[in-house]
Amino acid sequence: MTYAIEAHGLVKRYGDKAALAGIDLAAPPGSVLGVLGPNGAGKTTAVRILATLVSPDGGRAAVGGHDVVKAPAEVRKLIGLTGQYASVDEKLTGRQNLVMIGRLLGMSRAEARGRAAALLAEFALEDAADRAAGSYSGGMRRRLDLAVSLVGRPSIVFMDEPTTGLDPRARADLWRIVREQVAGGATVLLTTQYLEEADQLADEIVLIDHGLVAARGTPRELKARAGDRRLEIRPEHDAEKAELILAEVTGLTPHRGENGLLSVPLLDSAVSPAVFRRLEEAGVSLAEHAVRRPTLDEAFLALTDTTTSRRTR
Amino acid sequence: MTVITSTSGRRGALAQGMTLAWRSLVPLGNEPGRLVQFLLQPIFMVVVFVLMFGAMSGDPEHAARYLMPGVLVQVALISTNTTGMNLAEDIVNGVFDRFRSMPIARSAPLIGRVTADALTTAATIAVALLAGIAAGFRITASPLGALAGLALLLLFTLALSWVSAWLGLKAKSVASMQGTATAVLLPLTFGSSAFIPPANLPGVLRWWSSVNPVSHLADAVRALLTGAPVGAHVWVTLAWAAAVTACSVPLAVRAYTRRIR
Repeated sequence: MTYAIEAHGLVKRYGDKAALAGIDLAAPPGSVLGVLGPNGAGKTTAVRILATLVSPDGGRAAVGGHDVVKAPAEVRKLIGLTGQYASVDEKLTGRQNLVMIGRLLGMSRAEARGRAAALLAEFALEDAADRAAGSYSGGMRRRLDLAVSLVGRPSIVFMDEPTTGLDPRARADLWRIVREQVAGGATVLLTTQYLEEADQLADEIVLIDHGLVAARGTPRELKARAGDRRLEIRPEHDAEKAELILAEVTGLTPHRGENGLLSVPLLDSAVSPAVFRRLEEAGVSLAEHAVRRPTLDEAFLALTDTTTSRRTR
Repeated sequence: MTVITSTSGRRGALAQGMTLAWRSLVPLGNEPGRLVQFLLQPIFMVVVFVLMFGAMSGDPEHAARYLMPGVLVQVALISTNTTGMNLAEDIVNGVFDRFRSMPIARSAPLIGRVTADALTTAATIAVALLAGIAAGFRITASPLGALAGLALLLLFTLALSWVSAWLGLKAKSVASMQGTATAVLLPLTFGSSAFIPPANLPGVLRWWSSVNPVSHLADAVRALLTGAPVGAHVWVTLAWAAAVTACSVPLAVRAYTRRIR
């Protein structure tokens, strides 16, 4: 099978710090690959290598079947890049930014203007088209940034944290645009810090941490592994006793949160009544109890724990 | 799949360079405030140096003949600052990353920037000259001589804008670029014969002003605009421009390709 994006054992060092310590990635044509991880995990470095901006210190990568080191010019003809920091020219208007890129890609003046007008309409930027990009709101800027990266109708699009710092509504707008691109046949590699975003958009998620792949799978598989829900309790007293009971019933180590909050992954719904019964028997009363979906922190911890133990085994 | 046709080769690089030069000039049109600022600066220099300092000298007409060419040198050289600042800004903002991920000539962003800045410098010189004429300065040389003087100034400025480009490409931030450029440009311009003849200066300042290449430039431009004997100043200036270009272009290109890796 030919992958649109393929990387094997990518290594990149900055000084003696390894930004990437050997990661593998693969995205079939027309799919969305989500690269999920916290700040400093190596997501941006991976994108920069795939987009031919930096060369790897080890491993190899191919985009559209072209080696990123040996044939960067071929790769650049296929890709669109949306930066982590919206890399549009703030002093130009939205329209001028788009026309400039079209002209650089060899379009005639009329073609470039036509393409700019079409993208402005598609990305709901018509009202702001003739204002300097520097005056745009965060969401508008990301949309323009994305539009600019799509001027040449790339078949492979890299989006480096396209929604970081956006409000929920602007984020939803961007998600819709990503889905439309994929429906049009493009392959998308998307990096994100948000589990929810990867869940919403990606066909496959690669979770990276400290330059290594910590877990990979479909969103469904990863969530199942992270424990879909969590049981949370806040005892009014006897916190240690409550923790012991929780550990005993679930067979898991409870996570200690703020203000005496204890939580465990809820793998089996029958567990919560059992926990409550045992606590009642022991005379521990609860100030609060709830069943909740995992936060990224917790999912992330759970997933990285899994790989660590698997690796050491 | 893509609409990209022919974007490589020498012609491609030139066309892309011109698109990027357009891109660098457009902001002046977008923001009237920026344009006003751009036009006001040379006018302000003429007002301060030619009118105000001239009034102080007792012989304003004679002072204008001396100071006006100095103002032209000053505004032209200070304008080279923008080359490096804009390059540094493009790097910091990630605009360069976008260009580098595109199938365009690697030299296009540099060509575009330097071309745009040569044009704005020429415009700055023209504005300053018009303001100077309004302030009472007269070109007393032949038109050809005056044109030669302006061409020499532009040539020397172009050489310095490659130094500016090099500094901008090496800079960690826009502010650090601006600091370095100012530290280089202020002693070069003010510590020259642009405004005060070296003979009138004390000790170290006199020595610096007499060895400063900008003194030769200022003397050459002054002589060419006023029709006075030019002496060796033109040749010394040309030699300096050639030497600065020969060093700064390879340095800038190298810094640029390093950034590209």
